[in-house]
Amino acid sequence: MRKQLKRFAKLTALSSLLVLSACGGNQAAGDKEGQSGGGAVKADIGVISYISGPGAAYGEAITNGLKLAQEEINSKGEVEINLVIEDSAGKQDQALTAAQKLMNSENVTGIIGPTLSTEMNVVGPEADLNGVPIMGTSTTAEGIPQIGDYVFRNSLPEALAIPAAIDKAIEKYDAKKVAILYGNDDVFTKSGFDTMKKAAEEKGLEILTIETFQKGQSDYNAQLTKIKGLNPDLILASALYNEGAVIMDQARKMGIDVPFVGGNGFNSPEVINIAGDAANGLIVATPWYGEKEDEKVQDFVSKYEEEYSKKPDQFAAQAYDALYIMAEALKNAGEADRDALRDALAEVQGFNGILGEFSFDEEGDVVMDPTVLVIEDGAFKVFE
Amino acid sequence: MLAELINPYHLQVASFILINIILGVSIYITLSTGQLSLANAGFMGIGAYTSALLTLNFDLPIIVGILAGTLMAGLFGIIIGIPTLRLQGVYLAIVTLGFGEVIRVIFVNWESLTKGAVGLSGIPHMGREILNTLKGFGFDPKVLGLQNNQFVFLTIFLLLLVITTSIVMFFRRQNRSRVGRAFAAIKLDEKAAESMGINITYYKVLAFAQGALVAGFAGTLFAHVLAYISPADFAYHRAVEILIFAVFGGSEVIWGPVFGALFLTVMPEVLRFISEYRYMIYGLIIIIMMAVRPQGLIDVNILNWIKLKTSKRGQKHGTSSQKSM
Repeated sequence: MRKQLKRFAKLTALSSLLVLSACGGNQAAGDKEGQSGGGAVKADIGVISYISGPGAAYGEAITNGLKLAQEEINSKGEVEINLVIEDSAGKQDQALTAAQKLMNSENVTGIIGPTLSTEMNVVGPEADLNGVPIMGTSTTAEGIPQIGDYVFRNSLPEALAIPAAIDKAIEKYDAKKVAILYGNDDVFTKSGFDTMKKAAEEKGLEILTIETFQKGQSDYNAQLTKIKGLNPDLILASALYNEGAVIMDQARKMGIDVPFVGGNGFNSPEVINIAGDAANGLIVATPWYGEKEDEKVQDFVSKYEEEYSKKPDQFAAQAYDALYIMAEALKNAGEADRDALRDALAEVQGFNGILGEFSFDEEGDVVMDPTVLVIEDGAFKVFE
Repeated sequence: MLAELINPYHLQVASFILINIILGVSIYITLSTGQLSLANAGFMGIGAYTSALLTLNFDLPIIVGILAGTLMAGLFGIIIGIPTLRLQGVYLAIVTLGFGEVIRVIFVNWESLTKGAVGLSGIPHMGREILNTLKGFGFDPKVLGLQNNQFVFLTIFLLLLVITTSIVMFFRRQNRSRVGRAFAAIKLDEKAAESMGINITYYKVLAFAQGALVAGFAGTLFAHVLAYISPADFAYHRAVEILIFAVFGGSEVIWGPVFGALFLTVMPEVLRFISEYRYMIYGLIIIIMMAVRPQGLIDVNILNWIKLKTSKRGQKHGTSSQKSM
C-alpha cells in the first residue's frame, strides 16, 4: 500500500510537471503575438492538420508543403508569416478545440486546414461566426465553401474533378454504359459517388449497376463478377487508393480490362505500387501533376525532394499554393486584420501557382482547370 | 474583467470533458453490476441521431430533442438488455460490441434518413440557440461585458456543469441506496445475491438501461455542442475510448471514471506543445498506469487516503465525508 502511494505521488508529480511545462509553452507562444507592422506585413497563420493517427501521412505532406512555402515567402520580405501548427488527429472534436485555441488563445489572422471535410464541417461554422478566414487545402466534399463568407478552399472539389475525368474518358473510348463501384461507409468516397452518379446522369450514360463495398474489404469478387457480366464500357470507382488498388488488381485478374475512372482519393502513386501492371488504365483528374514542364513546378519538386527526400504529392502542392494565396491576400490587405484578409482573399483572381491558374468564385470555391491523368506502363501520364 | 478571463478555447475543452465524464458514468453504471458492456457508443449514437434528426426535420426545440434522444436510447437499452443479460463477461462484451457496430452500419446505410457516411450538418447549436432566445427577450451579452461567442461557450459550460454534477451526485446517491447495494451484491457474487432474494434480472436490466439512458443523453449533448455528427463518431473507437475512462480511472467508485474522463480529455490538449508526439506520450501514460495500477487510478483506498489527509488538515473538510463511498 505504501509503495503504491509513493508511486501515485510520483505519477502526480510527473503529470503536474507536464502541465507546468505546457503552460510554459503557451507563455512563449503568447509573447510572439505583440508585433507591429514595420516594412513587411507580419501575420500569424494557424494550421490545423491531421498530424497523428492513421491519416498522419496527409498532415505530414501538408505541413511540409506549408513550411517550404513559408520559408520562401519570408525570405522575399514582403510578408512575414508565422505558422502556428496544431494537430487534429483526424477527429472533429480535436479539430474544434484546436481551432478555438488558434482563434482565441493565439489570435491568428487566418487558418489553413483542417485536413478532412468532416472536420471542416465542425470548424468552418465556428470560424465563420468568429470572423476568422479559414481555407481548406484538402477538403473536397460538397458544400464546404458554402458554410459561410469566411470559408474558402483551394483544393479541387470532386464536383470539378470527376466530371472532367469522365468527359475525357467518354470522348476517348466512346463510352455509353458504365458501372459504378463505391465505398459507402466513408464520407469521402460516398461524396465522390454522389458526384459521379450526378455526372453520369447528366452526360446521358446508362448506369448498369451500382455496387458498394466497405472500408478495409479485401475480396471484391462478388461485385466484380456482376459488373463483368453486364459488360460496361467504363467503371467509375469512388474509392481510396488502398481499396481501389486491390479492386483494380482483382478486376484485371478476372479479365475485366475496361478503363477505371477514379476520384481524388484514388489518385496516388501508391496505386501503382500496390496493383503493379493492373493499375494501367486508371483515369483520374487532379489539380497537381509533378511532371509538368513548368519552371515553378519543377522548382518546387526539386526543393521539396531536397528538403524531405521524397516526391511531393497533391496535398503538399495544394498546401504550398494555399500559403502563397494567403500571402498574396495579406500583401494586398496591407495589415494583419481578419476582415481585411477575408476581403483580400475573396478578390484573389488569376493567381498563378504550381497548380496552374487559380481563382475563387463568389462563394470562395475553386475555379481552375484540372489535369486529367491516366496510368500507362506503370506511370501517371497526361490523358489525351 | 470577466471578459478577459473567459477563453472559448478553455471552455470548449471543459465542455468536452464534461460530456466525457457523463460517458464515463454511463459505463460505470453497467460495470457496477459486474457487466462489461461495449454498446455505449451505439447508445450514444442513437441519442445523438434521434435528437439531431428531430430538431433538424421538425424544428423541435433542442430540449425536446434531447429528451426524446435520451429516452430512445434508454428504450433500446431495455430492449437489448433483456435478452443479452443472460450472457456474462466476455460473451456480453462481444454481443454489445456487435450491437454498437450494427447501429453504426444502420446509420451508414439508411441514407434517406441519416445521409449515410456524409453525416448530418447544421444541427442546432445549444449555446447559439440559447443566445438567440435570450436576444429575443432583449438581452445582450454586452451587458456582462462579454462577446457573443464568449457568452455562448460560457452558457454551454455552465449548463453542462450543472447537468454533469447532478448526474454524478444522483448516481453517488443511488450507490448508497437499496439499488446500489443490490448492484454491488450482484457484482460480487450473482448466485449469492440471488439466494438473498435480489431479483438479479431486474437489477441487471435496470443498470443496463440506466447506462444506455445516460450514454444516449451524452450523445444528444455531443450532437448539439458539435453541431455535426457522422456515423464514424460512434464507431468501435468511441466504445473503447469510453471503456478506457473507466479502466484508467478505476471502476470501483464513481470518481474513477470521472477522473479518467477528465484526465484523458485534458491530456491531449495539455500535450499540444509537443505536437505530433503527443499521442505517443498519451499512450505511454496509459501503459505505465496499467502496469502500475491495474485496478485504475482511483479506488476506495485512495479515496480514504485523501479523506484522511484532508481531515488531518482541518475538521471542516472531513465532517460531511464520513459516508461518502
